Amino acid sequence: MNELTNVPHWYLSLGGMRLEFNSETLIMSWIVMGVLVVFGFLATRKLSFLPGSWQSLGEVMVNAFQGLVSDALDERNRHYFPLILTVFLFIWLSNMLGVIPGLSEPTKDLNTPLAYGLLGFVISHYAGIKAKGIKAYLSEYVQPMFFMAPLNIIGELSKVVSISFRLYGNIMGGSIIILVVSDLVYGLVLPPALNAFFGLFVGTIQAFVFTMLTLVYISVQTK
Amino acid sequence: MPFSTETWVQAAAFLGAGFSVGFGAIGAALGEGYAAGNASRAIGKNPAMSGPILKNMLIGQAVAESAGIFALVIAMLLAFMSTEGAPMIEAWALLGSGLAMGLSAIGSGAGGGFPAAEACMGIADNPSTQGALTTNMLIGSAVSQTPAIFGMVVAFMLMFIDWSSQPLWPGWAAVLGAGLAVGLAAIGSGVGSGMPAGSATAGMARQPAAATTIRTNMLIGSAVSQTPAIFGMVVAFMLMFVDWSNSPPWPTWAALLGAGLSTGLSAIGPGIGNGFTAQEASAGIARVPEASGPVTTTMLIGQTVAQSTVIYGFLVSLILLFIPREASESMVAWVAPLSAGICMGFGGIGPGVGEGLAAAYTVNRIARDYEGVSVLLTRVMLVGQAVSESTGIYSLIVALLLLFVI
Repeated sequence: MNELTNVPHWYLSLGGMRLEFNSETLIMSWIVMGVLVVFGFLATRKLSFLPGSWQSLGEVMVNAFQGLVSDALDERNRHYFPLILTVFLFIWLSNMLGVIPGLSEPTKDLNTPLAYGLLGFVISHYAGIKAKGIKAYLSEYVQPMFFMAPLNIIGELSKVVSISFRLYGNIMGGSIIILVVSDLVYGLVLPPALNAFFGLFVGTIQAFVFTMLTLVYISVQTK
Repeated sequence: MPFSTETWVQAAAFLGAGFSVGFGAIGAALGEGYAAGNASRAIGKNPAMSGPILKNMLIGQAVAESAGIFALVIAMLLAFMSTEGAPMIEAWALLGSGLAMGLSAIGSGAGGGFPAAEACMGIADNPSTQGALTTNMLIGSAVSQTPAIFGMVVAFMLMFIDWSSQPLWPGWAAVLGAGLAVGLAAIGSGVGSGMPAGSATAGMARQPAAATTIRTNMLIGSAVSQTPAIFGMVVAFMLMFVDWSNSPPWPTWAALLGAGLSTGLSAIGPGIGNGFTAQEASAGIARVPEASGPVTTTMLIGQTVAQSTVIYGFLVSLILLFIPREASESMVAWVAPLSAGICMGFGGIGPGVGEGLAAAYTVNRIARDYEGVSVLLTRVMLVGQAVSESTGIYSLIVALLLLFVI
């Protein structure tokens, strides 16, 4: 059970500072990025009216999310669509990675979900300022009364915490229970079913929830 | 007769195992019973569909039971774990571990029953939607297991991390408080995130064409209902991973326990309240799919306001955790921070549920008439919520008085 608390690290000394990297998270994130880049290249290499197999796969994904984005955002903000789909694909593929023996989910490390949570937070507030203007944006913090401002700010910040800890908790919890139950039953019968449930099913749902919440945060800010 | 440390740790492991599966069995049993009852009603309504309904009931119950199974796994590990040479603080960590898992399984188990029950009823009413209903039931009840998974993560950490670097005083209160914080906080969110899953499944049976819209709203509503549980998990992490060896044992232990109770208890109300709001939102969108935009926005505003009491609880926890205290063994020095935590914790329960109900009925009306009165209704909702929050604010004031004046 020691894997639970041991995180492999890389260290780097830079100008007197000692930098610490979670090597496993980094390697796994690069694997996910590599897969996505290769897929993007294959899907758009020979665009044609009669799509090839890679292009069809890409079109399926674009179609699935275009409807959701155009429901949530108005005309002027549709350009956030590529971002939303990319966030989904990255997190979804990250969550799927744990099913393959020897690989682990980069989302199991709190830093990855936190980075995506912060990304969504910054972008949604930028979109809000751009859509409403700085004055209208700031006046929302003193709604319904001026002394509510600190609470509104904490409420906004808590969105980052909740969105990232939700993903982290689910993926971490799933991988822990797979590890522990596999250990208890000596790897017999149960682990494939657990991997299917926590890796494929919960992983897909949580990637979707994360993406939808990012989308909703942008949509609430721009309205 | 004096007992050795090892005996105490062993005893705590057994106690933790008992708490884990004892509390953990409550919710799953309730949820499964609710599903079974509704399956009987459904079969009575439409006996021709008895086979699919029975199958659906069993699948739904299996998912609702997973929270109970997590609790069983933790209990087994606690009961059979080796306690050789463990320090005394390990005893408190194991007790906290059992409480974290057991309490957090209550809500998720009960919440998982709602979608299972509604899916059975839906199959009876509209047999052609059977596949979509079962899928949505699975998604909804899997999402409502999330608070139990948070509890499980903390339970495993409490069990397997080596706590010997923390001093027994006040470390015991930190590990016990961590278990209580995440366990209590998950109760409301577990029930709350099951509610929209239930009403969305029911709505899909009535309006299969709007399935995607309903499901998206359900996921957002459930996810926001889980925010209070996440606050509990964050407080648990802070209690576990901050080094307490430099703080004076008295009265820091009381502050740490108070911090766990403050967020843990105050999260129960907003979790359930947010669930009510999300439930009405999903039901409303199923009735009028075109209203999904204003309904989702109002739901989010209502839920955010209803969460303010857990944010007060979180604030009190942060003050208790990070404002340094002078060493003192007087009675007042330790009773005040503990009572501040308890005061804010219990004070947050009622307003959370109340404000959630206010938002729920507002969302319900907006779904019926989304073009006409939505601005007026949102304003009324905010005023009503502000008034029903006043008792939560009283608790906050008393907690702050206990912390800073006395």
